[in-house]
Amino acid sequence: MTTNFDRRSLLKLGGGALAASALLPRAALAASTSINYWHTFTSQSEVAGLGEVMKLFAAAHPDIAVTPENIPNPEFMAKITAAVASGSRPNVTSVASERFQDLLAMGALIDITDRIAKWERRSDFDDKRFIPITKDGKTYGVPAFTFVDWMYYRKDWFADAGIAPPTTLEEMRQAAIKLTDASKGRYGFGLRGGPGGQNFVVNMMEAFGSPVKKPDGSIGLERDKVVQALDFYSGLLVKDHAVPPSAAADGFQQIISGFQTGQTAMIWHHTGSYQDIASKLKPGVEFGTFPIPAGPAARVARLSYAYNCIAKEENADASWEWVKFWGEPDAAVAFLEKTGYFPASTIAAADKRITENEMYKAAAETLGFGLPQPSFPGAAGWAQNVVLPALQQILTGQATPDQAADQIIAGLAAAIA
Amino acid sequence: MARGIATAGLPPPRSTWDAINPARLLGELSETRYWMYLLLLPSALLITAIVLFPTAYGFRLSVQEMRLNRPDLGTGFVAFKHYARMLSDPIFWLALRNTAVWVTTSVLIEFLVGLVAALALNRNLPGTKVFAVLILLPYFLPNVVAGNMWALMLDSRIGVINDLLVRFGLLGGYKAWFADPSTAMGGAILVEAWHSFPFFTLLIMAGLKGIPADLYKAADIDGAGPLAQLRFITLPMLRTIIAAAVILRVIGLVNSPDLLLILTQGGPGRATEVLSLYAFQSAYQDFNFGYAGALSVVMFVLLMLFAWAYIRLSKVNQD
Repeated sequence: MTTNFDRRSLLKLGGGALAASALLPRAALAASTSINYWHTFTSQSEVAGLGEVMKLFAAAHPDIAVTPENIPNPEFMAKITAAVASGSRPNVTSVASERFQDLLAMGALIDITDRIAKWERRSDFDDKRFIPITKDGKTYGVPAFTFVDWMYYRKDWFADAGIAPPTTLEEMRQAAIKLTDASKGRYGFGLRGGPGGQNFVVNMMEAFGSPVKKPDGSIGLERDKVVQALDFYSGLLVKDHAVPPSAAADGFQQIISGFQTGQTAMIWHHTGSYQDIASKLKPGVEFGTFPIPAGPAARVARLSYAYNCIAKEENADASWEWVKFWGEPDAAVAFLEKTGYFPASTIAAADKRITENEMYKAAAETLGFGLPQPSFPGAAGWAQNVVLPALQQILTGQATPDQAADQIIAGLAAAIA
Repeated sequence: MARGIATAGLPPPRSTWDAINPARLLGELSETRYWMYLLLLPSALLITAIVLFPTAYGFRLSVQEMRLNRPDLGTGFVAFKHYARMLSDPIFWLALRNTAVWVTTSVLIEFLVGLVAALALNRNLPGTKVFAVLILLPYFLPNVVAGNMWALMLDSRIGVINDLLVRFGLLGGYKAWFADPSTAMGGAILVEAWHSFPFFTLLIMAGLKGIPADLYKAADIDGAGPLAQLRFITLPMLRTIIAAAVILRVIGLVNSPDLLLILTQGGPGRATEVLSLYAFQSAYQDFNFGYAGALSVVMFVLLMLFAWAYIRLSKVNQD
């Protein structure tokens, strides 16, 4: 059967459809607002955590559709720089605190000071949480969760060797040496000398008494102390042979899998890898956690935050709903339970699901003395492109700690010049 | 003036309208030599927009201050400041040396393996088509996939390559190939060669099909063996194709840091730092687009010089 439409009947049909559409309820026609969210979650637990938060958000805000877009951490700055330059920035982006200064300088973030001031959950957060994302009195993000540095250790191996969890770096070194048995492929410490390993070197320098910058903004690195720190840290491989020989190339995946598979006895990371490790080793039995040991001059454990920031004005109201939702206690605890990332909200951190968990004791303790990551324009690039190669050169015998210290100090001078 | 030239030999306009009639003027113009330029204009504009402008912009960046995370420095003209810095930058010289090693060795291996593969596939033996597909497979893999796949296979804990080498007694224990400066570049070159040798295979195979069989028959009669035939017939006949393939591959290798970015990120230390990677890091990690622009200009000039010298030395243009 063939139906022929003449022009008149087509016009009638169109007019009818238009009239019918006017009778439809407004809500049915209102398209949900869509926003996209750039994040760097890659592990299974992180993706599961994000999924959980999105589920809760969808139930609370059915009118807002969030499209998550994964940007692998090493590529994040390249992608966002290109997005800013080309005007294709996301609605909301996750920003690690050490990247804030660079992103702000390139104009990637929107000031949300007024929104935060009117936010009903503002008082759930300590003022200190906002300092790393504030410049010249303007705040650009809401803390989503906290990176609490701590150590994971093989509780069973320590018990067998009769060693207590170390409280100083020297004790940690001794424990690493004692637990190393290279013939069995077992090493005391999983040193991260590959991608992402730069921040541990910066921490080590500060633990030996040499902060990156002084309070007045000038270079704080003192050559002798930097040399000592590098000598100690790299010495775990080149002198003590207490870390896997692959250390110079070991990134996140390698140190985590090395610990999970029984290659290493201790690793230095943050609470965010807790669930990944607990998926392979029994918490409290096979592995435990302890706060970062103290160095000769300071105890340096980082307390840094991942912030959610609005990157463009379009759909800013919907973006703000998503940004602040991460501060809801239910969302924060759901994310913690899937990942291990600590809530940034004081109210959420006081939840008994956290306080009554023995494994989080070290993280709770660290909240008392943890320090923020050094943050200034050029900090991330300096750490990645100068500090890390310098460490790798010592680990692979291409440079001495003295030579590496000179590179690090000269590189910092160039970065802030 | 053009109209003056154009109207020579044509009947004069019959009315005022005729004198300004665009169709008539266009018709007159089409009779002149300027018509050619008018037809070329759209293409010229397109090329200017998509080729010349970005290139010129890159050159301009290299003489400008452009640090995205330091707006306080402004974006003014700095003349040859970045180039002067390059001269005293030890990382630049190291990256230049590494680039030479990375490109030369990779292209050499890719060419030799590609040539052998193409010669084998050109013999039309049974199963050749299946082998042709298998040999070309690596080239179809994106660099990201190939890089991550090889990073896993060469991993010092779970890598299958280490496992095989240990099982066959070729290695005493698992080796972290990318953690040792003496093997990192070699490992990366092998991955690159594995990934890109089919490019040479493809082009050389196409060239082999065009060589007349009579030449080989004549050489046979003259008593030339396979090696002599390769040296005196195949390679000279493939000269143009080889030159094109080498130039394209060198350009690709000099400009693309992606495989090294995945495998080594320039490490350990700076053992695998090449110019493209250094430019990438300067732009997207240090946000110093001015210096990255200067590095790119140097790469551009080096590639131009290489292409010119290679074409001259290989005498391709003399055919």
